[in-house]
Amino acid sequence: MNIPLDGVKTAGIVGVPPLAVIRQLYRARVEVVDLDAALVAADLECAVTLLPRVYCAILRTVVVNGLNLDLDLIIIDTGPGKCDAAAHTAAILADRIKTPIITTENRDREPFGNPVCESDLPLLRKMEMITAGVARPDTPRTSPPPCPPTAGFWGVPPRDFSILTPFPDSTHVYGWSRCMENKTPADNRLEARFNPEVPTVFFAQSFCAKTALARHLAARHPHGLYLDIDATATASARAKIEAFLELSGGNGR
Amino acid sequence: MIIADFGTSYSKILDLDHPTPRIIRSRDLDRSLRVDLATGHNGKRFAGQYVNELIALARGGKAMIGRDDFLLLDCGSRDIKFVRYKNGRLDDMGWNAECGASMGFTIELLERYYDLDFSRGERPEKTFPVTCGVLGMSSIFDAISNGMSEREAVARFIRGIAENAYRFADAPEEIFLSGGLCENKIFVKSFPCRTTALGRFVLLEGLKKIADEHE
Repeated sequence: MNIPLDGVKTAGIVGVPPLAVIRQLYRARVEVVDLDAALVAADLECAVTLLPRVYCAILRTVVVNGLNLDLDLIIIDTGPGKCDAAAHTAAILADRIKTPIITTENRDREPFGNPVCESDLPLLRKMEMITAGVARPDTPRTSPPPCPPTAGFWGVPPRDFSILTPFPDSTHVYGWSRCMENKTPADNRLEARFNPEVPTVFFAQSFCAKTALARHLAARHPHGLYLDIDATATASARAKIEAFLELSGGNGR
Repeated sequence: MIIADFGTSYSKILDLDHPTPRIIRSRDLDRSLRVDLATGHNGKRFAGQYVNELIALARGGKAMIGRDDFLLLDCGSRDIKFVRYKNGRLDDMGWNAECGASMGFTIELLERYYDLDFSRGERPEKTFPVTCGVLGMSSIFDAISNGMSEREAVARFIRGIAENAYRFADAPEEIFLSGGLCENKIFVKSFPCRTTALGRFVLLEGLKKIADEHE
């Protein structure tokens, strides 16, 4: 796929576009902005002009970013590694904002590995590195040190990263986040993998289709906790994670 | 050492040198009060060391129930939460502070408003489908305006809340109950399964265990 990049200085991406597209952006020295992350101060509520209130908070965030950022181009992956809701959001944005929207279908299969997912970094830092890696055409030359796991986090990068802070550094990452680091977002088999040996939180954004898979895998896991959270984590959601890790020994104590 | 469960409506305070906990309305608490170890919705305000409510519930439940397999449901003033143990290990947990909001608080308000006493009584024949305290209120007012007695209307509401809590806990065969609603007989009898009411000091019991380990 060859994307016309004449005059494009800043491009927003949604999901994980194919590596060929990322390489093209990199070669053209286009600044890449991840629209899945909360980038502007505007309230999530302003997405209601384009999307229903009861909708995936990540995609509502994409809309808020799309409405408020001055971008030359938005690339939205709508392939098997993303979701129908992203395809609908792409169509709505194309209809309602001036920024050109390009949709891609990432079917990349070349594995880049999971050194960050299995490292001893704090979980929040791991997730920051995984999400930042989407805009890179390669992986960092050096990998953080690995560690044996005491807990697992399965799922997508949450909209509210604060839910990651109760986890110990010895938490390994699974699910779609693992597929992101591996640069194979449509690898369903990798996404469905978990480690039955360690207590694992199976997370999905509320109103996302992945809630079904998260709940199913949590039920199959010998020691899993299903958790869905909307835009921001409530005190009770955070407390559930803390209690689960403490009572299941997932915090390594 | 003083430990306390600072709930939304009531606080339970125990000096470990004395056998009986004190129960104080949370709104009457002295703001300068300090305890050594606390749990509960308001716990962080009054203690140097805070224990997550689910952890206190689980630890207290394990100590009081003494079984490897159990489901313990705590029905508080503002939320409901449960822990389930299987083969001595934590199997599942839930904490509903949003859709389960204010159910206990609403029951107490209604009891006082209509001057009702539910420390005695039987489960009503019928129920109101209620998902939370606030939404359930309109069913009560409608039923009373249509001629139903206040006691019957509130009892049906309480049964609806008990059935809702039962489904939230994944419809088990047996439930151990914790929290102030253990003293509400209509509530306890309205669960469609075997129930054992442990009372309102389960979280304090959990704190005791944690305090013992610290010493």
